[in-house]
Amino acid sequence: MSIEWPSATLEVVQQRPLTVKNPKTWPHIHSYGGWGRFFAGLQERKILATRCANPRCEEKRLWLPPRCECPDCWHAMDWVEAPQRGRLYTWSIVKYPGELFKLPPDTPLISVELDGVCTKVMSWLKEGKPEIGMPVRAVFNTQRPTHTILDLAWVPA
Amino acid sequence: MIKFGPQNLRIPKFERPVYVVAGGLTDYRKRYPEKNTCQLCTEALRMAVEENDLKLDPEEVRRSVNWCVYSQFADHFGDQLLAAAKVHDYLGFDPLGNIEVKTGGATGGSAVLAAAQAVASGYASCVPVVGWERMDEVSTKVGNSYIASAACKDFESELGWMYAAYYALMAQRYQYENNVPRDTLARIACKNHEYARHSPFAQNPGKYTVKEILENDIVSHPLSFLECCVMSVGAAVLLLCDEPTARRLTDKPVQLKAIAGGSHTLRTADRRHMPILLLPNETPETYADYFGAKRDAWPGFSSFLASRTAAYLAYHMAGIKDPLEDFDLLETHDAFTISDVQTYEDIGLRPYGRGREFIESGDAYFEGRLPTNLSGGLIGTMHAVGATGIFQIVELLWQLQGKYDKFHGDAALWRRYGKEKPTDWRSLQVHNAKRGCAISHAGTGSHVTCAILERV
Ligand SMILES: [Zn+2]
Repeated sequence: MSIEWPSATLEVVQQRPLTVKNPKTWPHIHSYGGWGRFFAGLQERKILATRCANPRCEEKRLWLPPRCECPDCWHAMDWVEAPQRGRLYTWSIVKYPGELFKLPPDTPLISVELDGVCTKVMSWLKEGKPEIGMPVRAVFNTQRPTHTILDLAWVPA
Repeated sequence: MIKFGPQNLRIPKFERPVYVVAGGLTDYRKRYPEKNTCQLCTEALRMAVEENDLKLDPEEVRRSVNWCVYSQFADHFGDQLLAAAKVHDYLGFDPLGNIEVKTGGATGGSAVLAAAQAVASGYASCVPVVGWERMDEVSTKVGNSYIASAACKDFESELGWMYAAYYALMAQRYQYENNVPRDTLARIACKNHEYARHSPFAQNPGKYTVKEILENDIVSHPLSFLECCVMSVGAAVLLLCDEPTARRLTDKPVQLKAIAGGSHTLRTADRRHMPILLLPNETPETYADYFGAKRDAWPGFSSFLASRTAAYLAYHMAGIKDPLEDFDLLETHDAFTISDVQTYEDIGLRPYGRGREFIESGDAYFEGRLPTNLSGGLIGTMHAVGATGIFQIVELLWQLQGKYDKFHGDAALWRRYGKEKPTDWRSLQVHNAKRGCAISHAGTGSHVTCAILERV
């Protein structure tokens, strides 16, 4: 028997040194696991955070992004709704985003400070001009959800 | 962890002394199709064993090796899993054991830490640390995306797919809290691009004014291209030994007095407020007036707990009382101008909130109190990520051995890389340098190592 040479060939980018183009186009099937509840919550216009349920844990801060298990005692956490109004903690306008960025360049990226939350949520500003300290409120993408963190954004309050 | 138990901050101890004996580099380029990764690593190793005035010939050095440590940040870039095994074989070290280390941007520093642990414990007596990164197989935009895969992919990466943006968020907050003149940040970039002009290894040397830095294209507001590290291809090698091996190999041994690592949340967002961890040159009074309306938290977005922890451990390990006094030179991980100022504070060159003074005073410059990044750093010379932390220590080693000119001023070396030695080249050798420090840094401060080298 005789086997044919493969029909797929690599594109040669240059001859010296020999440089070829390796194509790559397969998807990853990624599970959010327990954090999926947060992304599902966005579709109900809720920001779901977590707090440690262990009565003996010294730290009982509200975590957002949520953690299913507490970093201080490894105990399961309770899901709690976080406030939807806060203050802009810091911002940047990204001019040259990396490949895969789904928003237009010039989108303000922001961190948001929410009362009672121990973290500064990273997100984006959908309307207005960013300024540190400005009051903002959450808005949700429920029309055509991306099922990513981009489904949460903020506008001036 | 924000409350420490009695053993959490135990000061690390080497069971026996560790020496740095030789270093080797390649030049660093945006694209390097002429040489594959195995060849680049071989080139750096050959410089280490052939050009460091060792008393044994390369074959005898090879016969002394008994363990190897490899350092590459991202398998994505080279598109080759277990690349370390390929390099190890190519270098002819089979069947000796080896290990590959990965801690993001601090991979090089962590690899040196792993090698030091092997030597200090008695597990090994002669360990090459070999680091590289091959960042030219994809476009810059895809490269930035790959790097941003080292942010949290569930909650962060989508927001920019760009690490500069995550530092830009910190930069804005740092500016708000500490009101640093924009010029001061730009001066860091000017300094490092300028020092890179004197290095044959450098990828992005240049003579820039503050104005040119600030008027350069913005990557992510407020950081301009010239304030960000380069994306490089290249390798670096360091040879670590125990004392008997070091004495056999060199007349100019340099001791690795300390190397320690710290960490903090991958997501900047998740940094909880905690009490400031004090360095030996600080007291609670140092920060009596630190917190206020604008500065509401530590480490917050302005400081790196990982750097502070690494410095705390390494300073105690090496008996450093005041870094500004005790070090003769410093290599920081200047991935961005802003992170450099933050680092000055984290490692105690100035108290928190006053990092700008380290630049403004002239301390950070050649012939200043603590010359910093005379190598050209990540902004001027290279950031072939897996090689970077090793590169820093190679440059420190050569300074401490009085060999800056040998490795930067030789016209033949410039020609080796297809370059002309500049007519206005100048020596950046620090006179009689005795002790140096290198900071290797990952993520937005997820891993940091602090290494302290001393001429003996
Ligand atoms: Zn807990």
